[in-house]
Amino acid sequence: MPTGTYTEEVVRIQRTGTLYDCLELILDRGMVIDVFIRVSLVGIEILKIDARIVVASVDTYLRFAEACNRVDLEFDRSKTVPELLGGVAGGGGSPAGRMATGLGKKKAKKAVAGVGEKVKRAVGADDDEEEEGEREERESRPRRRAAPTRRRSASASEPSEPSEED
Amino acid sequence: MTAPAPAPRSVYVYGVVRASHTVPPGRIGVGERPAPVRTVRAGALAAVISDAPARLRAKRRDLLAHQDLALTLGRDGPVLPMRFGMVAPDEESVRRQLLSTQNDCLAALERVEGRVEMNLKALPTEADLGSLVREDPEVGRLRTAARRAPGYEASVRLGEAVARGLRRRAAAAAATVLAELSAVADATVHGPEVEGCVLNASFLLDRRERRRFEDAVERLAAAQRDRAELRLTGPLPCYSFTEGRA
Repeated sequence: MPTGTYTEEVVRIQRTGTLYDCLELILDRGMVIDVFIRVSLVGIEILKIDARIVVASVDTYLRFAEACNRVDLEFDRSKTVPELLGGVAGGGGSPAGRMATGLGKKKAKKAVAGVGEKVKRAVGADDDEEEEGEREERESRPRRRAAPTRRRSASASEPSEPSEED
Repeated sequence: MTAPAPAPRSVYVYGVVRASHTVPPGRIGVGERPAPVRTVRAGALAAVISDAPARLRAKRRDLLAHQDLALTLGRDGPVLPMRFGMVAPDEESVRRQLLSTQNDCLAALERVEGRVEMNLKALPTEADLGSLVREDPEVGRLRTAARRAPGYEASVRLGEAVARGLRRRAAAAAATVLAELSAVADATVHGPEVEGCVLNASFLLDRRERRRFEDAVERLAAAQRDRAELRLTGPLPCYSFTEGRA
């Protein structure tokens, strides 16, 4: 097996500029000096909660259970959950089955990207509570959830900041 | 978690370098209207700072500005990156701080000189569910139970057991990976716990060893692909290795 071919497939080496796979290091590691003030970082706790919902929801459990019940223990040729969900269980070692496996990987990646998306949103969510968010509806949920814990300061009266990212 | 609004003379601190370190000109820092980056020197050290923005949040732009500056500085010599969001009341307090921690900082700078941080996360994977069903007694038992008496509750319990099993399997694979990679890194530390990950570890490496390290990760990822998904990020500023002690 030439290892080079796995770069994309198995291990995802992130570019240096990638933020979301090292967000916790920027926020929780690095040098701290006790006498300095740490700027309040509202919104970060929220994203952790959101991620947990994705990872361990009842929906996930039901999906696992469903997939599990389709595993044919005697003639097991199919391997992945999405493949099983795709109805290729048992005796399905066909090209169609292999395609389903590939599809499953894409789905899995999408699921991971979904978590990243949440991180992105949660980080962005802290942007402009004051700003009425009709233009970016997708940010509405984390923003609302951030509201109860948000920092009270003079900044609420300041002009709102245009959000530049995404 | 309420922070007072920063005083007008407060400065945002990006990192600490040696006093001889050249800071590239024309850099700007964090904030909506980013201020120019400058240094404040004390003894053998310098802190890289800018005027603190009036209000700062963990926006993508600001996190990137913080990280990019640390990476850029790293090209010309060792850097101790600050945690995001550190604001000092004024330049004088930065100077005092540099002087009082000079020895520790110099030791830490020496430790990260010519080195980078690589971060590895391991996550459970749903690949090869069949072997989990066959090998995990709890999953097997609950699966049989769910078949005998199907229902919502039985399904949830089975699914939970699967999730636990996938996590356990990934954690075992991650332990193998960690042991192998620790042997080739100069230092290894565990990062903060991240939801969904069974391993979050950072490795301190000589810059020249990076390719070799990536190859090792690739090989391990292929070997463990049915048990864990590996995600490697880097090179990063040495966030996890800012202490002088080994």
